[in-house]
Amino acid sequence: MPDLLEATELEVDRDLDLAEQTVLGSAWVTIVWNDPVNLMSYVSYVFRSYFGFSQKEADRRMMQVHSEGRAVVATGTREEMERHVEAMHDFGLWATLQKADA
Amino acid sequence: MRAFRRKGSDYEASFAPEEARLIVQLTEQLGAMLAQPDAADAAVLRLLPDAYPDDAEAAAEFRRFTADGLAERKVLNGQTVAASLAEATAATSATKVRLEEQQAQAWIRAISDIRLTIASRLGIESDDDRPAADEPLGDIYDWLAFVQESLVVAMQRRL
Repeated sequence: MPDLLEATELEVDRDLDLAEQTVLGSAWVTIVWNDPVNLMSYVSYVFRSYFGFSQKEADRRMMQVHSEGRAVVATGTREEMERHVEAMHDFGLWATLQKADA
Repeated sequence: MRAFRRKGSDYEASFAPEEARLIVQLTEQLGAMLAQPDAADAAVLRLLPDAYPDDAEAAAEFRRFTADGLAERKVLNGQTVAASLAEATAATSATKVRLEEQQAQAWIRAISDIRLTIASRLGIESDDDRPAADEPLGDIYDWLAFVQESLVVAMQRRL
């Protein structure tokens, strides 16, 4: 049975691990790029139905894609972003992921 | 063609037989293209794009794990569209086509994939590019946009 000190050290280690995971784990973004093909109504629908954005927010990000050429649509772990990118490819949207600070 | 609109919890449009046959043909061509995807084909690369723009190794890894499933689902979407048009293709006059939500989901994805493929063939690469006036695929490309838009607008009201 571990004594109190050892137990405390284990807790601290675990907390540090968690903190590190959270920091590293949220450092990815999903980006949707402009394309000349997909309709604005369709892109907005995808953002709304898949990401659960309000109509206003979906339209805002869609317009950002349209006018700036790209928009960040999600932030999270690398695994989550890979799932989002795959879902966007299912819809025919051009999406990529990268580190948030890249 | 009469545009899609809501019909209870479904969506309904009307297609002439030749319109229905055209869409079925396009879904079959999409299916054939994705059954044996040619990695050097620009249209294939657009439908199955690199997920990591600056990391070839991660992009290849992502492709290894997702491309088959993506292609398979895209083929299935096309088959769902074709199946929902079976009656309309065999008819002698315009026929109502009714879609449940799940079929509609397959439709909007498949039309997107078909238009992306046509755009790739026509060299449409920027927002200012338009199909040439005498390009028959251009009419199909625009018409499919109308079909998709009407369905998306009807689906949007249900969100």
